[in-house]
Amino acid sequence: MSYITPMAKRKGLKLFGSPNEVFLLIAILVLSLVIGFSNPVFFSIATPFDLVRSSLIEIIFALGLLLVLVSGGIDISFPIVGIFAGYTSVVIMQTYELDTYSLWIPLVLAAIVGAILGSINALLIAGFGLPTLIATLGTAGMFRGFLLTYVGSAFLANIPLGLDQFATADLVSVETSAGTLARLHVLIIPVLILAVAIAFLMRRTMFGRTVFAIGGSEESARRMGMNVRWTKAQLYILVGIISGIAGILFISLQRKADPYDLAGTELEIIAAVVLGGASIMGGYGTVTGTILGVLLINLIKDNLILLGVDGAWQRAAIGLMLLIGVCSQAISDKRRMKQAVTVSEEKS
Amino acid sequence: MKDISRDLTRRLLSDRKLTQLVVVALFVFALFSVLAPDLFLTPRNFVSMAFQVPEIALLALGVMLAMLTAGIDLSVVSISNLAALSTSYLLVTQVGEGGGNVYFWIVVSILIGMFVGLLAGFANGAIIAGIGVTPILATLATLTLYNGIAVGLRNGQSITGLPEEFVAIGNGSLFGIPMPMVILLVAAVGVAIYINRTGLGMQSVLVGANETAANYSAIGVKKVLYMTYTLSGGLSALAGLIIASRSASANPDYGASYVLLAIVIVVLGGVNPYGGFGTVTGVVLATVVLQMVASGFNALRFSQFFYQLAQGFVLIAVMVLNTYLDRRRLKAKKDKAPKAP
Repeated sequence: MSYITPMAKRKGLKLFGSPNEVFLLIAILVLSLVIGFSNPVFFSIATPFDLVRSSLIEIIFALGLLLVLVSGGIDISFPIVGIFAGYTSVVIMQTYELDTYSLWIPLVLAAIVGAILGSINALLIAGFGLPTLIATLGTAGMFRGFLLTYVGSAFLANIPLGLDQFATADLVSVETSAGTLARLHVLIIPVLILAVAIAFLMRRTMFGRTVFAIGGSEESARRMGMNVRWTKAQLYILVGIISGIAGILFISLQRKADPYDLAGTELEIIAAVVLGGASIMGGYGTVTGTILGVLLINLIKDNLILLGVDGAWQRAAIGLMLLIGVCSQAISDKRRMKQAVTVSEEKS
Repeated sequence: MKDISRDLTRRLLSDRKLTQLVVVALFVFALFSVLAPDLFLTPRNFVSMAFQVPEIALLALGVMLAMLTAGIDLSVVSISNLAALSTSYLLVTQVGEGGGNVYFWIVVSILIGMFVGLLAGFANGAIIAGIGVTPILATLATLTLYNGIAVGLRNGQSITGLPEEFVAIGNGSLFGIPMPMVILLVAAVGVAIYINRTGLGMQSVLVGANETAANYSAIGVKKVLYMTYTLSGGLSALAGLIIASRSASANPDYGASYVLLAIVIVVLGGVNPYGGFGTVTGVVLATVVLQMVASGFNALRFSQFFYQLAQGFVLIAVMVLNTYLDRRRLKAKKDKAPKAP
């Protein structure tokens, strides 16, 4: 895996350094042009605003998942952790009649619940050393079963007022030529801050570098004297917190709390992160790529009808897109591996 | 007869994980027999379990084949639904209102359904072995793709009203054994022979144990992977056909929770998720255990979500227990080994 380290170093904090990110950006632009020319409705300020709104929550989830993938693991449970934390927070607020205008109370509650669920994952993965896929598959089932059996299975239409009002908190709202309001949600600012924070965490902190090292080769990281288990434990707790916050924000934007929501979205978000260039084998991944991956998937998903895909075949189209994404990545990985081999042979 | 049973007992006891499983099975059986004797401990309940076990056991066998090679197949349920839908589509359009040769079309549509499953599995193999995508990602993508095709085929609607002759297969019995069970037994014996007696099957276990070593030992890893995922697709299709025949319908979104269940079964059945070890007996036995739990919970009127909780819990508990036991055994071995001078 030695070829990965110099690559990662070269990319550093440069914004559009890697060919994968440039490729994603080109894909997004070309696709936008294609959709726009086949349907001029697309060329409106409302389109990027809507795209951002439909991507924000997925970006938060994806940033958490990115950390897991970089460490060489995989997480299936994060959407369940999100909806568990979000729904439970709403239930707690309603049961104890907490200040419903506050936005901080539900956020903190969701983060705490997320941290608890995350620490269960942490215990199993870091403590007992279970394979991450199996462990999170098991906890996803447990969390979902627990949520629907003990916390509640009812659809809550009246969420706390603070959350409800946040759903319409716009940063910018522009009246379009069609007479409708195009809105950019204020959540874009915290999400951007989170993205920068995660990028900083990954590139400039001991924790982040250890996560990369574990993903590159766990055994090497251990022999270098890194505390692999503790780093992994911190990682899964952090991902729990991020997922919890994403879950409560999801409920806020939806303006309803439905415990059946979000289950099944893990596939799409995993696909987005992988499309964004993160390696499922660990050791490689960038924040920029992840965000672009989510945007690309949502761009296609939101505009399949404009692209002329029949409603019934949308799921198949998404599946096909995922397939193309993972295949192209595998092929470019192979090529990179081959290059690395030839380079090292030339050196020696 | 006595010899066979003694032989079976000896084989069950020779493998620690199987012994564990037998104990668990007896415990679960006893537990529910005491808790819900008039609902659980009835012949009717066991007959109904015998009809339900095969479909999920076949899916689990498919996952097991992939796991033996240190991979995983998450697309089994999608393949099974796609196969069921193709067969049902053909049956409904061709047989219609009693016209045409019913038996001819039943055979043809079953063959088509099996072909669809094998083809879908082969495509998985091509993506994994040919292009080199990680099994998790590849089957995650095809899970969505195959499900999408199944949805698109009939606009997301299920197909009902399959001909009686086809429905009779899944609900009938052969010498008093439910037909799905007969199919499962034949398939299970086939998979066991494949793993233990054929070159390719034995190689697949070696690939799972150590892919690099297998590569250097001139084992055709690619060929093995193609075969593994194609067979997994075939087993999934078989499960789908049983489901369609038993319920007289096909639904593109049937059994979404079966993916978790199949993996729980495989791990509970003692298959090593890192590849290289697993037995057919273990997987079938684990299916029976979980089916008993499901039907016991049903008798006790627990919700299906509580069952999901229990599944997750069982998966985690088995994995933790196995890790603990493995570590202890490793330590014991180390202690026993002569100290280096």
